[in-house]
Amino acid sequence: MEQNETKRRRSDRPEKKSAPKKKNAALTAPKKLKLLFTVVDRKKAELFSDLIGGYGVNLQILLPGEGTAKTETLRLLGLDDTARAVIVSVIRDDKAPAIFEMLEEKFESVRGGKGIAWSVPMTSAVGVAIYQFLSDYREGQDPARANERGKRS
Amino acid sequence: MTFSHECIVCIVNTGFSDAVMDAAREFGARGGTVIHGRGTASREAERFFGISIQPGKEVVLILVPHDLTDKLLHALYRAVGLKTPGQGIAFSLPVDQVVGLSTLSLEKSGEAPAGDGDADKS
Repeated sequence: MEQNETKRRRSDRPEKKSAPKKKNAALTAPKKLKLLFTVVDRKKAELFSDLIGGYGVNLQILLPGEGTAKTETLRLLGLDDTARAVIVSVIRDDKAPAIFEMLEEKFESVRGGKGIAWSVPMTSAVGVAIYQFLSDYREGQDPARANERGKRS
Repeated sequence: MTFSHECIVCIVNTGFSDAVMDAAREFGARGGTVIHGRGTASREAERFFGISIQPGKEVVLILVPHDLTDKLLHALYRAVGLKTPGQGIAFSLPVDQVVGLSTLSLEKSGEAPAGDGDADKS
């Protein structure tokens, strides 16, 4: 009985007016972000940085690094060219497959462009503006066009 | 969620990256990448704990299969831990995707392709 009464009372309540929805407002969940580490020959760092930048990546950090020589003998003979660059890029989760596919292809096809890349999930970022910058979120942008922009390299 | 690979980050005093790699190679890592950095530490904390922090640091990145991570971290702790001259710390990050790993030597040795990580082919 009580339950029925409660239901009736609830139905008597006037419905709350919901906020008017904006026309064409595409509501989507925030995209997750990842940290992409790309280790390549230092001479090819700019090339790979540009390639990754073509996928709407707004923040990249280039760090000069060195590979670890395979053997001490090679090092003593000066036969190890260990100058490397580590490119740290903040990428969007949904663009990761395309970026990895591109990198895999370039690692094979670019002369002296052999490298390795991996991604680490990011769990938090503080500030809406920072998130929008990192995820290349542009208000009012048609998602289809955003994808086109992402594919350009 | 489990990941096939993990990225081990080991921060040691300048000159100890070789010790890091020696320890890592024992457990199957084939290569790593060294980045030079500069450590910052609170002077007050240094005095309190009675240690001195050398500012020059080397950051070694090593990509390894998930199942090697624990062994490797323990090896690094023993070889270049905070109580050694290397004064190193090491931690691992989950890697959810990876491209560019060499599988040639693994095929030769008959291991699975995901059996080893290598951060560079130097």
